[in-house]
Amino acid sequence: MNVFRTLHPQTLRILALAAVLALTVLFFTTQIDNYFSPRMLNRIATSAAVILPIAIGQALVVMTRNIDLSVGSVVGITAYLVGDYLGSHPDINPFLAFSLFIVLGAFCGAINGVLVAYGRVPSIIVTLGTLALYRTFLVEYSGSRTITTDSLPKWLVDLPQATAFTIGSFEVRVMVVMALASAIVFWIALSRLRVARKLYAVGSNPDAAVMAGINSARVVFVAFILSGALAGLAGFIFLSKFGNITVVAGLGFELKSVAAVVVGGVNIFGGSGSIVGVILGTVLVDTIDNSLTRWAIVSEFWRDALLGMLIMIAVAADTFMTRSFGKLKGKTP
Amino acid sequence: MTAALSDISLTVVPGEIHAVVGENGAGKSTLIKIMTGVYQPDQGELLVGGKPVTIRSTQEAQMLGVAAIFQEPMVFPDLDVAENIFISHRNMGVLMNWGKLYKDAEEIISRLGVTLDARRAASGLTLAEQQTVEIARALSLNVKMLIMDEPTASLSAHEVERLHVITRALKARGVAVLYISHRLDEIFRVADRVTVLRDGKHISTKLIAEVTHETMVRDMVGRAIDDFAVKTAANPHGERLLAVHDLACEGVFRDVTFDLHRGEVLCFAGLIGSRRTDVGLSLFGIAPATAGTIELNGKSVAITSPQQAMELGIAYVSEDRRKLGLAMAMPIFANVSLASLKKFLRHFGLIDRKAELDMAEGYRKQLSIRSPDVVIDVGKLSGGNQQKVMLAKWLETKPRLLIFDEPTRGIDVGAKTEVHGIIRELAKQGVAIIVISSDLPEVMTMADRVLVMREGRQMGVFDIATCTQESIIALATGQRLAEAS
Repeated sequence: MNVFRTLHPQTLRILALAAVLALTVLFFTTQIDNYFSPRMLNRIATSAAVILPIAIGQALVVMTRNIDLSVGSVVGITAYLVGDYLGSHPDINPFLAFSLFIVLGAFCGAINGVLVAYGRVPSIIVTLGTLALYRTFLVEYSGSRTITTDSLPKWLVDLPQATAFTIGSFEVRVMVVMALASAIVFWIALSRLRVARKLYAVGSNPDAAVMAGINSARVVFVAFILSGALAGLAGFIFLSKFGNITVVAGLGFELKSVAAVVVGGVNIFGGSGSIVGVILGTVLVDTIDNSLTRWAIVSEFWRDALLGMLIMIAVAADTFMTRSFGKLKGKTP
Repeated sequence: MTAALSDISLTVVPGEIHAVVGENGAGKSTLIKIMTGVYQPDQGELLVGGKPVTIRSTQEAQMLGVAAIFQEPMVFPDLDVAENIFISHRNMGVLMNWGKLYKDAEEIISRLGVTLDARRAASGLTLAEQQTVEIARALSLNVKMLIMDEPTASLSAHEVERLHVITRALKARGVAVLYISHRLDEIFRVADRVTVLRDGKHISTKLIAEVTHETMVRDMVGRAIDDFAVKTAANPHGERLLAVHDLACEGVFRDVTFDLHRGEVLCFAGLIGSRRTDVGLSLFGIAPATAGTIELNGKSVAITSPQQAMELGIAYVSEDRRKLGLAMAMPIFANVSLASLKKFLRHFGLIDRKAELDMAEGYRKQLSIRSPDVVIDVGKLSGGNQQKVMLAKWLETKPRLLIFDEPTRGIDVGAKTEVHGIIRELAKQGVAIIVISSDLPEVMTMADRVLVMREGRQMGVFDIATCTQESIIALATGQRLAEAS
């Protein structure tokens, strides 16, 4: 017990999350034949690679006491629009192509950000609106065409098979490395950049932030832009992974990303959270998601229900913990 | 419209602790808000270091070296102490240098003459420690003048001592401290000079050696008492309605004992933070008492919820009209009927709109609520009229015991007199009334008896005829005077 007391609550939480993840893997190993294999690990890793950037963006937004429900639609829009453009301009420089995803995503995020930060419309309303608007725009634009692998440049189609390095018999894909790299960049940024402190400050106590001379609106605006840009990155990984894109690309990712974020220990009321937690949360959510599709006992339609439950359990546990800590605090004179 | 403040001249010199005192509503808060750029003065000027300045925002005040800390500290619970101290700093580089941050934070804290772990999360700090963080933040920004608004209102005696150590450390560093407090004994311990405000006017500024408790209190209260002795002879009181014995709420208040008769007005006097409101809330079941007994009509009751209190015939007219009292976006009639909706239910549980409107219209006339009709949203009314709507709502429950919490705060003088008249009239009709008020003249006018509280303890219950404003203030600030015994 003493050990737990000396640990920082965040550290404790990450350890608990890692334990839950290990137990989950252990459980499915007993349930599914040939579960703990490089193939399955790769499947989970590449699936998590799509969600991880979105989850990080979501975490940044949630830390400022907001939420971004439009991420799934932004993934769809970037994957489809840029994919379509690459179909007609296959010779474009890969780096330029890559930045198109980011810029388009950031643009979508900026629309959310302007409305939330400067228009003072609650983020849940703004992003619920853009969730539908972006998607509808995509449906109209597409004219129900499908982007197919044939139309895409070869480098993009080959990317999912590209292996960055190998650990034993487990081949780490380039896109997994890309997702992890984005996570590490934000991990370092959040712990080392001075501006990142403002992100926490705004979510932690908005009134005090104003008194301390922090430009809260700009902080929130930037968080939404980053969330959009990261959704653009996810759009890139998504397109490259699946090759065939329809208008439903990225549908339901908002649920997955919120789940990953709150399970990963980001306070849904803002002010705290860590990228390590978000990484673990994402992996846990995707492990459960991918395992359920292969688990014979349970229909795969339960996946969403389980995600929903995970979110509720994580937030309930949070509230419970805060309350018991609060009580303890109240007792000291 | 009277000015909140007029003709205030105040000079604070470096290395001085300058106390500002005055009753609630004397204009202290307005003064601070002007100095920190929250309000703009209509007249007069501010000089910092001899130069005239305009302060349009807290940031501008900060840049001029003027900072303020309040009763409720402004910290970021999720950040640690060092981050909290340096959050407003610019030009510290793009990267966090954690080592230097903690070292600098510790250095600043040590300058205050106290110890505090710079790595602790602010969420775990006591109120006093959070205050220390705020002072350290101001000091790190090279504060020239620090305004402390009731800094000790929620602190224990030991913590107050610590704060005074810090305050003296600031003084030694040449910081000018403007110290606003209700606790006169503290002012004698810490201040160099003291300025008294009353009704938005500057009454006096004196060296602390030139004043005594008595002269300070006299300056604060000022007016001749008989200006307010307009009360009619005490009502003939009915039978005893309420008997409260040793009521306590753990950690909030204790030893509250009083009785109340029909037709009687009992005022709860005391300073902000004396927990008068908490006693009222416990009688209404919002924050039930943890010990003691309440007898209503000779029967012992335990009041654990507002619903139960309402069934017992208790009503509570709260101070915060927005938060606890009224639904601003709903029309007058719906607000008035809210607490007694059952009466208006007809077949199939539908509301009889006609009866509801007639009832509300009745109150509009009776209480002279200034509004063309009763279907106007309450949010559109003035403060005084909102207060009357809230009163109507509770009157409709036909209470036996009415508790008013600051019934006239923030409403103009005319409306105030009307509200007083209504309260008197209710008492005449046999309602037992408790008025929680920080407004001493109001207490002197309204009360038959007065219960004085200080820091969660009952200092006594007195017949109003035996009290003066001075004796009440003396009790409420913890300075015992012979005449108040």
